[in-house]
Amino acid sequence: MKVTIETIEYIANLSKLKFDTDEKEAFAKEFESILTHFENIQNEDLEKAKFSLMDNTVGTLRKDEIKTFENRKELFQNAKEIKDGCIVIPRILE
Amino acid sequence: MRYETVIGLEIHVELDTKSKIFCSCPTTFGKPANTNTCPICTGLPGTLPVLNEKVVELAVKSGKALNCDINLINKFDRKNYFYPDLPKAYQISQFDLPICIGGYIDISLEKMNKRIGITRIHIEEDAGKLIHDTYDPISLIDYNRTGVPLVEIVSEPDMRSPEEAIVFLKNLKSILEYAEISDCKMEEGSLRCDANISIRPMGQKELNTKVEIKNMNSFKEIHKALIKEEKRQIELYSFGEGEKIVQETRKWDSAKGRTISMRSKEDAHDYRYFPDPDLSVVKIEKTNVISIQEAIPELPQEKRVRFINKFDLDEKDVDILIDDKKLADFFEELINLETPAKDASNWIIVEILRVMNAKELKSIPIDAKRLSNLISIIDRGVISRTIGREVFDELIISDQSPKEIIEKKGLTQINETSKLLGIIEKVLDNHEKAITDFREGSPRALDFLVGQVMAQTKGRANPSETRKIIEEKIEIIN
Amino acid sequence: MKKIIEMSIEEIKEAYAMKTLKVSQVLEAYFDQIKKYDDKIKAFISLREEEAIKEAKILDEHLEKGELSGLLAGIPVAVKDNISTKDLKTTCASKMLEDYQPPYDATIVKKLKAAGAIIIGKTNMDEFAMGSSTENSAMFTTKNPWDYSKVPGGSSGGSAAALAAGFAPLTIGSDTGGSIRQPASFCSVVGLKPSYHRVSRFGLIAFASSLDQIGPFTRTIKDSALALKVLQGKDPLDDTSKESSNIDYFESIDQPIYKMKIGVPKEFLSEGLDSEIKENIVKTMEELRKLGAQVEEFSLPISDAGLSAYYIISSAEASSNLARYDGIRYGYRPEDYKDTDDLMLKARTEGFGKEVKRRIMLGTYTLSSGYYDAYYNKAMKFRSKITDTFKKAFETYDVILSPTSPILPFGIGEKTSDPLEMYLADIYTVNINVAGLPALAMPSGFSKDGLPMGIQLIGDHFDESKLFQVGNHLEKKIKVKDIFPKLEVK
Repeated sequence: MKVTIETIEYIANLSKLKFDTDEKEAFAKEFESILTHFENIQNEDLEKAKFSLMDNTVGTLRKDEIKTFENRKELFQNAKEIKDGCIVIPRILE
Repeated sequence: MRYETVIGLEIHVELDTKSKIFCSCPTTFGKPANTNTCPICTGLPGTLPVLNEKVVELAVKSGKALNCDINLINKFDRKNYFYPDLPKAYQISQFDLPICIGGYIDISLEKMNKRIGITRIHIEEDAGKLIHDTYDPISLIDYNRTGVPLVEIVSEPDMRSPEEAIVFLKNLKSILEYAEISDCKMEEGSLRCDANISIRPMGQKELNTKVEIKNMNSFKEIHKALIKEEKRQIELYSFGEGEKIVQETRKWDSAKGRTISMRSKEDAHDYRYFPDPDLSVVKIEKTNVISIQEAIPELPQEKRVRFINKFDLDEKDVDILIDDKKLADFFEELINLETPAKDASNWIIVEILRVMNAKELKSIPIDAKRLSNLISIIDRGVISRTIGREVFDELIISDQSPKEIIEKKGLTQINETSKLLGIIEKVLDNHEKAITDFREGSPRALDFLVGQVMAQTKGRANPSETRKIIEEKIEIIN
Repeated sequence: MKKIIEMSIEEIKEAYAMKTLKVSQVLEAYFDQIKKYDDKIKAFISLREEEAIKEAKILDEHLEKGELSGLLAGIPVAVKDNISTKDLKTTCASKMLEDYQPPYDATIVKKLKAAGAIIIGKTNMDEFAMGSSTENSAMFTTKNPWDYSKVPGGSSGGSAAALAAGFAPLTIGSDTGGSIRQPASFCSVVGLKPSYHRVSRFGLIAFASSLDQIGPFTRTIKDSALALKVLQGKDPLDDTSKESSNIDYFESIDQPIYKMKIGVPKEFLSEGLDSEIKENIVKTMEELRKLGAQVEEFSLPISDAGLSAYYIISSAEASSNLARYDGIRYGYRPEDYKDTDDLMLKARTEGFGKEVKRRIMLGTYTLSSGYYDAYYNKAMKFRSKITDTFKKAFETYDVILSPTSPILPFGIGEKTSDPLEMYLADIYTVNINVAGLPALAMPSGFSKDGLPMGIQLIGDHFDESKLFQVGNHLEKKIKVKDIFPKLEVK
């Protein structure tokens, strides 16, 4: 199962991660061996198997009621920069 | 070469719930930034979503109001992409098993009625808002809107002109308002619309490349944008440059009056949808669907037919009443108070709308009881219609009854001949020329004389009585 | 009297009831132990001694009046650092969340507090729970208290080591593919992974949503049952949590296990299993027979594909769960960046460690267009097959016995080069998470070099009672629980 550098770059882009050339090559090799191992799933007979969803669970539904979060001041205590009660980021061009 | 326009619409509607879709924060619009927030809707580590039951109810309701089939088992999927207004870096939405599929709206166009198909309706959560600072090169993120419940309604590409698209949207808005699914206020973002438009030679079966148009903030803007884009595409096709039309998203710039190609977002839309493992599959009982459907109030189409048949009103007037649920409801309130239908309709269309437009009001400025009272006072001839208007304007700004206002201002109509005689004689004495003019065949002269009496009595004279007496008098004088 | 730090929760509670010990005394004993040995062992990322002492004082006032109530009243607890605590940083042992302080408590933290427990600190782990040795921590590596040159296992290595070293009588971990059970066996303590749906995940910083479960480390089986009693229950904030029936584990825990059928998958005893561990399993089977149970080998055809399904599903879910770490609302922010996109890119590239990035990449790959069907879709289908296979086995057997790890605790630095090799060592534990079953790891002996060995008891969904029952009797027979590591200060 060949994995190209282009594929690694595409996936890195989707994952918002950056790698140097050595790292990309290492990933490509690693993926090849891991994905080859994953092929044992291809050999399984999955004709009759259902896609496993939690269909035996009776889901929780919440009542449409308002509850105010008490620690609102602490909600953004980990943000690096706040202005006018909002999180600050570099200007986005849309 | 004749071209055919093909339009499909994607409408996002905010559901009218008290709390958000996956947490208990309020959904109220216009609050200070980040006050309707909690760890769940800001995507803090370790938080989990729990579905609001009202969201399912309203989504099913919207499906039934739009003639859809309900998928009794449906699920949530994660749509993964990075953007600062998306706290979890995925939006919880529905991908391949949406809650509703296959519906329609019937619309009336000038020359015919048409059925516009609806492909699907699915539930999803809203994202936050980015506020671009005016001075510094920063953007601010407000998460009040993250987690507000939405349904996305996708139409079939059945519309053939910008006009049809607008009629469809008006109908859709009306239905959703009537069914109390959303308040559908485009200006508050509770109704948003993107359009897909393509052009093909008339008779061609296949669809040509479609272009998505975004950033249209009112029905007027949508109409303008579609006309502009339609023109752009037709021009390119007619010059043989059809290949210049690419599948892309274009932004409607209302200041510039044209659509602009948007900076393409790098992600190339590989959303990697997969079922959200934090949420159970949604299971709806058939009996629930039936009871929700039965609870849908009378929808605009039905109401329209009923108004026309039952109340013998002019179709155009009915359309105005139906167009806004508030007006239709108010009309029925008046009817319930035994107001004659024609009067009720007139007063709403002429007086109430006048005041609402002039003062830019969003709600009806008077209660049905006092208006009904006023109308019956006029019908009994206590005051004239003209005086009635004066009283109406007073009723709007006070909470006094019509009777109190009439008495306070001394506006009672003068009906008795004995009371009118004196004034009429005075007027006739002062306007001999008018009498002569009338005798010589000018009916306007009579109007003038009546007008003079009205002026003298500050509008209180009964106009038809006055006219009658003057006519008699003039005959007598003769 | 027994040393406080060697007591079980049950024994401490009895001492409180008899008023032979005070809460402050107990707390002090544990903190003394921590101060003496944690410098070397490094089980803790953060401690909250001051607040704990205050809480102990208040509990002592209740104790005086004979009003000490709560199932875990006065019991010091250490919590894995991926579980949100309001007044302590919650770092997931990652640079990404080094300074992150949650504004809320995880539901289980609330439950522990409500039961009277005293939270003493947060323990070390593999970064974002990804790993089997705690070597992937961005902070430091925890040592195995039995041999400082060996790993304590992972990803809940800190909690396992803390329990073994006598730093607390109860520690909490999380298990996604073996992260409680393997370190429990590496450190010779009891570790329970409850049934999926049993314990609320609200506040547990997610790795793989459909596989994660929180569970306790304890000295004894009975302590484990007590801890589960406190931790379990339907949480309105967690849609995946289910109502626990009113089954009282203590009703059956002392019942003899005659006639219980215990199955041992023969596929698990084949090649790849360390010979000493294999011998230990065979010995354990004998002990269980002596206790009256019917023990036999049987075929459990899960095969390697289960491991693949696990890695596909867990990486996929992880890649999505970890996407929220972008430096914007919390977490690591790079020094400089040219725009928001660069901010997010740098935050993630610099904030995450190697293994985390590897799993994110793997997960993104298996979900990306063109590959979804080949990997994720197939893995989820195979998942129902695994679940059915286990269901069938439990029609015959009450409990399944298996090793926890194919290898003995290995040396620090020994296995970090080949990721695939690390993944393959999870062979005995991952399928249990895939099927959502409960499993209890307990000490079963020592290797000739004195390294801990443990066995795993696997039960049917929501059938923890049987695990406690078998485990309780086995514990008495094997008598490993009263052996303590000789800790060194160098």
